[in-house]
Amino acid sequence: MPPRLRCAAARGLGCTVNTARIAKHSAVLLLPLAPATVSVSRQYATAAAAVSQLSGFRLPDDYVPPTKPPTARPADTRKSQLLRTYTSLLRSTPLILIFQHNNLTAVEWAAVRRELRLALGSIASEGADSAEIASRAQLQVMRTRILDVALKIVEFHDPSSVAPTTVSALTGDRVQVVYNHDLSKAAYKAVRAATKQPDAPPLPESSAYVQIAPLLVGPLAVLTLPAVSPAHLAAALSVLAPSPPAFPAPSKKKSPGYYDPVAQGGFQKLMLVGGRIEDKVFDLEGVKWVGGIDGGLDALRAQLVYLLQSAGLGLTTALEGASKSLWLTMESRRSVLEEEQSGGKEAEKKESS
Amino acid sequence: MITRFITEVATRFNPFSARAKSARLFLTCLPPSARSSGMNITTQLLPRSSTEPSSLHIKFKDGKEMKVDCEAMGIKSIIEEVDRHSRLLQKAADLSDG
Repeated sequence: MPPRLRCAAARGLGCTVNTARIAKHSAVLLLPLAPATVSVSRQYATAAAAVSQLSGFRLPDDYVPPTKPPTARPADTRKSQLLRTYTSLLRSTPLILIFQHNNLTAVEWAAVRRELRLALGSIASEGADSAEIASRAQLQVMRTRILDVALKIVEFHDPSSVAPTTVSALTGDRVQVVYNHDLSKAAYKAVRAATKQPDAPPLPESSAYVQIAPLLVGPLAVLTLPAVSPAHLAAALSVLAPSPPAFPAPSKKKSPGYYDPVAQGGFQKLMLVGGRIEDKVFDLEGVKWVGGIDGGLDALRAQLVYLLQSAGLGLTTALEGASKSLWLTMESRRSVLEEEQSGGKEAEKKESS
Repeated sequence: MITRFITEVATRFNPFSARAKSARLFLTCLPPSARSSGMNITTQLLPRSSTEPSSLHIKFKDGKEMKVDCEAMGIKSIIEEVDRHSRLLQKAADLSDG
């Protein structure tokens, strides 16, 4: 029976096992050969002067360092790749709902995702964004520990503050490079300094990681929406975590698939434990509150504008009030005086006549 | 974990408390077919500000009710505790069947 490995990985492993080949290429590395001797090659140096100097130092394209054998795991599920995916997800996604999933079967996952897609797709809200948000919404299972690390990196590692390091290039020059990616030593040290130091002060309660850390237990799945859209959130809540008065489950007539026993089994095993909305951590009630905002962010902005306008109006009337009342009293006094004068004149006229 | 003899599981916890860990992990130990095979599972999530201790009630087929202290116990000791009674029931069931 052939080894059960993916083709690319198997080829890579084969390279490592093939010692004769490695020996041959390490010899290539050691001895600067004439360029004509190596046929298939990849070049590292780009400067023109360096090429002429280093034309002998070439690695074959399929060279595998003997100390770094290729992994047999597919690229998209490697831990490093997962970490990168999660950090970019956390940085770019404003609305994340965290679910605990208790042993859902594959068919149940499929049913849950189908119903979620149907519910999100049937939202009749204004704008072309609605369909875009619905199509980008994803319910995905996360690796809990890696998500934990990703949350730490997102909060404690600031890529812009990393100092450049000096490394020697292949040509022998010293060059300044900034290694500030999420898998860098700088990121590791920043996270470690914030969380693992024994003499460090405890993290403040306001820190988002401290708030969300207790949720990261057991098997987790997250629902990510690419924008804070209360309408979509409400639709997702009514499917995944229905609570009758505000977020009722879809009716039997409208979506019969929701009451399919397989789908129901899936929904019963999904448990909404919390959410992260625009870097703030919300519990179930908080998520429901966000989902219950009528009209979305635009309505909130309109409310704020109205509030500010009416406050300005009140202020101007209050400031005007004093001068207005002064004017009113003066005016009334003047009218009284005029009346008295005119009354006096009339009386004089009467007396004279 | 032997889940054949459990008829009811009721949990209450605040997910934002670190002490809710074992209650949450207990739910993940139940098999996918638990609900369809007649087990009654209810979960109540407490709000974030609540300081109520997390609780886990288990009922067995023979009527025994177990109230597990999941604040202090880890998931391993909870499973051990539940299995201790389940094994008794298993033994009785095996004897009556055989």
